[in-house]
Amino acid sequence: MRRTGLRSNAAPIATLALAGFATAAWSQSLESCRALEFTGGDAAPSCYRELLVAADPAVRAEAAWALDDFPAANAAFRAAVQANPERPGLRTRWGQLFLEAQGAAQAQELFREALAIDPNDLEAKLGMARVALGGFDVRAEELANEVLAAAPDRHEARLILARLALEADDRDRAQRELEGPLAAADPRVRVQAFALRAAMDHLADQVPSPWEDRAVALRPGYGALHETIAHFYIITRRYREAIAALERAVEVDPTLWSAHATLGMNLLRVNRFEDGYDVLARAHDAFPYNREVVNALRLLDDVMAWPENSGDGLILRVDPAESGALAGYVRELATDALDAFAERYDYRPEPPVVVELYRRHEDFAVRTSGLPGIGILGATFGHVVVMDGPAARGIDDGFDWASALWHEIAHVVTLGATDNRVARWFSEGVSVLEEWQTGPSRFRVEGAPAGRHAVPPDVIDAFREGMLLPVATLDEGFIRPRYAGQVGVSYTQAGLVCEYVAAEHGLDGLVRLLAAFAGGRHSAAAIETALGVSPEALDGAFTAYLDERFADIDTAAFRLAGTEARDAAESGDWETALDAAERAVASYRHYVGGLSPYPLLAEAAERLGQRDQAVNALTTYWQAGGRMTGALTRLAEWRENAGETDEALAVRRTLALVAPLNGDHRVALGDRLLAAGEAEGARREYEAYQALGPHDRADAHYRLARALFALDDLEAARREVLLALEIAPTYSDALRLLTEVTTRSRAGNSGQ
Amino acid sequence: MSFGIRLRGSRPGLARLVACVLPVLAPVASAAPHMVIVAGLGGEPVYASAFVEHAQATANAVERLAAGVTLLLGADAGRDGIRDALRAHEKSPAQEPVVVVLIGHGSYDGEHYRFNVPGQDPTADDLAEWLARLPSERQLVVLATSASGAAVEVLKTEGRAVIAATKDGHEANAVAFGRFWAAALTEPRADIDKDGRIDADEAFRFAEQAVVRHYEDAQRIVTEHPRSDGDIARFELASISATSALAAVPGSAGARRDELLAEIDALRAAKGRQAEEEYFATLQELLLELSAVESELDEP
Repeated sequence: MRRTGLRSNAAPIATLALAGFATAAWSQSLESCRALEFTGGDAAPSCYRELLVAADPAVRAEAAWALDDFPAANAAFRAAVQANPERPGLRTRWGQLFLEAQGAAQAQELFREALAIDPNDLEAKLGMARVALGGFDVRAEELANEVLAAAPDRHEARLILARLALEADDRDRAQRELEGPLAAADPRVRVQAFALRAAMDHLADQVPSPWEDRAVALRPGYGALHETIAHFYIITRRYREAIAALERAVEVDPTLWSAHATLGMNLLRVNRFEDGYDVLARAHDAFPYNREVVNALRLLDDVMAWPENSGDGLILRVDPAESGALAGYVRELATDALDAFAERYDYRPEPPVVVELYRRHEDFAVRTSGLPGIGILGATFGHVVVMDGPAARGIDDGFDWASALWHEIAHVVTLGATDNRVARWFSEGVSVLEEWQTGPSRFRVEGAPAGRHAVPPDVIDAFREGMLLPVATLDEGFIRPRYAGQVGVSYTQAGLVCEYVAAEHGLDGLVRLLAAFAGGRHSAAAIETALGVSPEALDGAFTAYLDERFADIDTAAFRLAGTEARDAAESGDWETALDAAERAVASYRHYVGGLSPYPLLAEAAERLGQRDQAVNALTTYWQAGGRMTGALTRLAEWRENAGETDEALAVRRTLALVAPLNGDHRVALGDRLLAAGEAEGARREYEAYQALGPHDRADAHYRLARALFALDDLEAARREVLLALEIAPTYSDALRLLTEVTTRSRAGNSGQ
Repeated sequence: MSFGIRLRGSRPGLARLVACVLPVLAPVASAAPHMVIVAGLGGEPVYASAFVEHAQATANAVERLAAGVTLLLGADAGRDGIRDALRAHEKSPAQEPVVVVLIGHGSYDGEHYRFNVPGQDPTADDLAEWLARLPSERQLVVLATSASGAAVEVLKTEGRAVIAATKDGHEANAVAFGRFWAAALTEPRADIDKDGRIDADEAFRFAEQAVVRHYEDAQRIVTEHPRSDGDIARFELASISATSALAAVPGSAGARRDELLAEIDALRAAKGRQAEEEYFATLQELLLELSAVESELDEP
């Protein structure tokens, strides 16, 4: 295999010697081969091939690794470690092999074993830092600093810190960290520093970068240069630029399989499925050890066989088993969202917008692997929305798929309006705000300020404990969280910041911010340009805003009363439960997330014969965005029993939307819509019900026939009722409907 | 004991043709089944009460159609109790079906399926032996237990159908099938052919689908895969309306209705052999006449 690039596996001679190679001579041989890598041509591969017969298994491992023979390298490292179990350096090199082969977990384990043998093994620490770096784990910085404390001249640690700084968009710090590596004697370090400098220029739109020329001059055919640049485009969601860089990477180093794999994954993100598949298949053929590639190819084998569902500027990718039940809602939601955002933000994305919904969370995860701070259940790549569908996680587990889709479509707008240059916090903030104020589960409690969604108590606590980030560095809360739950807190904080901006500066403030990001400004400059205040001033005003917004909320009392209410309910003491639930509500009104007191309050009130109070509690819960299906079903039934059909119908619409794969909700809504004269809506619900494959198929056909009959679509109604009667010929209701359909058809024909 | 004539399965060949797609309507006299329903050992209170509840619900649901119901609970539901309950039917006429429903925990040791009861557990071989002594030519065994799939091969034989909650003996977790089986027997939506009766096939299919949804809703890996063997549609178990839509009615209108149902059966069996529009046009004409006959029959 021809090798033209300097690979990450290359280690300096001192490192190899420390690793525990049997003789200095072998180390020298390896180093000679590595030196040849800088000359290009076949000299280096030939050199390595000669080392494949070395007596020392560690040398054979290094040679096989350099020749991309990972199984042989792996086997040789195993033999080397078995022969010399006391040498941590061998485990470290073996771990680095796994790191290159996308085996971060195995790599981490080997680095840990090395550190158990020698806690001061700097190579192992660097390995741990690289694992953390790849996983967007905040410990990468700590580990790199530990290495530098012990060996201030270890430029590899500086490279890690520079990369971290650049990922956090702190270009000044990145530049400082690179000063040493840029002047390093070791060309391997220098060329990596050049690549990071070039990436910095690309992020600042200073293209072409002179650092690219310097890297190429130092190391011709250095594909990793473009792969590094692509990495920063990817994490800033500029996939088109990333693809161009990756195409360049594989052009100059056709054996750089990691770049092939990344290219394939990113082609999928811009909806180039056929191209992506071809690239991934090539990558897999040459390097079959990359699990991301294997998983992606498996997923594509399924997804690319799904029938295309396109039209009205939308392409839907939904599992055929669910498409009939979901496609109608997805189209309506996506279209409504695009219309709403076009009006609010004066931007409409170029069609088509692609929406992919997955039945299994693992499939969604395949589409988003390798991205930092990605939404746990949904992600947007430019015009492509990828998310869990309602089958992956249900509404009663807290996943409101409809609201999540609204959120993701808002990303399509903020990313599109800024050519993907929007800061993550702002894009997330707008999406969260739109969920609260315009989405299908928006806050609309009568008598309460519109859109003032009650945020999780944990966020209020984080605010009061000073754990919110300054707005200028809020992106770090998404990319490298420093405490458990910080990603969630950061989402909500971003939404609150946008809520504050809209309240203080009007919606136009958000539009101006969008324009500032579109102009290439970073957060601080965008805030100053759009709002006329410094980020620090914005932080101060935002804090005052939250002080006022959260003033009446006592989270400790809320939790205490909630626990008391649940305990009392469990022991059947409904009077105490009611009292405690009322206190919980008083401590934090309108909170409808996990452990919301409203359903329990309603239950207690109902058991104590206070139906009105129960209805009021669940109505508030529903209006505030509460979506537990058991609570909403009760509310709908109570309303129906009271003859309040309009109010009940509204709740039933919510139920069917948030639990669209539940046939009972769909058919119940269909029945109510038909009774209310909304035959078109009823038809959609009955079609969805039928698509879900109900046990009682005759009934499903019959109901759909009724809706079609109401719509005067007599031929379709005839067909459906015949299908019902084909299954159940004595189905008396269906026989009557067939007679009615036939009579009306004949009357119509005779009247023509 | 007879509950009148039910119209079912006069042409078994035809029935086999359409059984997996459409219920069969053609008439035949069918005897009421003798039901033996057993709630096994629960182990934990939550299971013990659930098994009794599901067994009781099954017994209540089948009471109207059955020739007799034997419900075994608690200490009565031991190996000897089950054996004796079956022995009681050793003198029943051959045409009277026997249906055994076991609800509880089952186990499989790699060789034998066992139904967990107080005292010694009966095996699938025991059940097969006891059932083989009965003259009944139509037998159905419903095993709403874990590991019950292991018993299917042992129990199935000419004239005996089997329903199991699991595909084999290795699905050893407690099953949800029994709950949905019991529910199906009173559930109008389980009545696929709208004849007012729930047969074993309708109940099985309803419960099977409910099991799948149960695990989907709970976001859990499906640990039970119900299966059936034999012609389970021949066992009518429960009535969900006062009269069966297929009950025989004397007089010329009743006779015409039977003829129409038979013609519809034949037409459905031949589906695909004619143009689709022609098929539905013929079906429509038959159904419109059936509707008129039904109206005539409904008149006081």
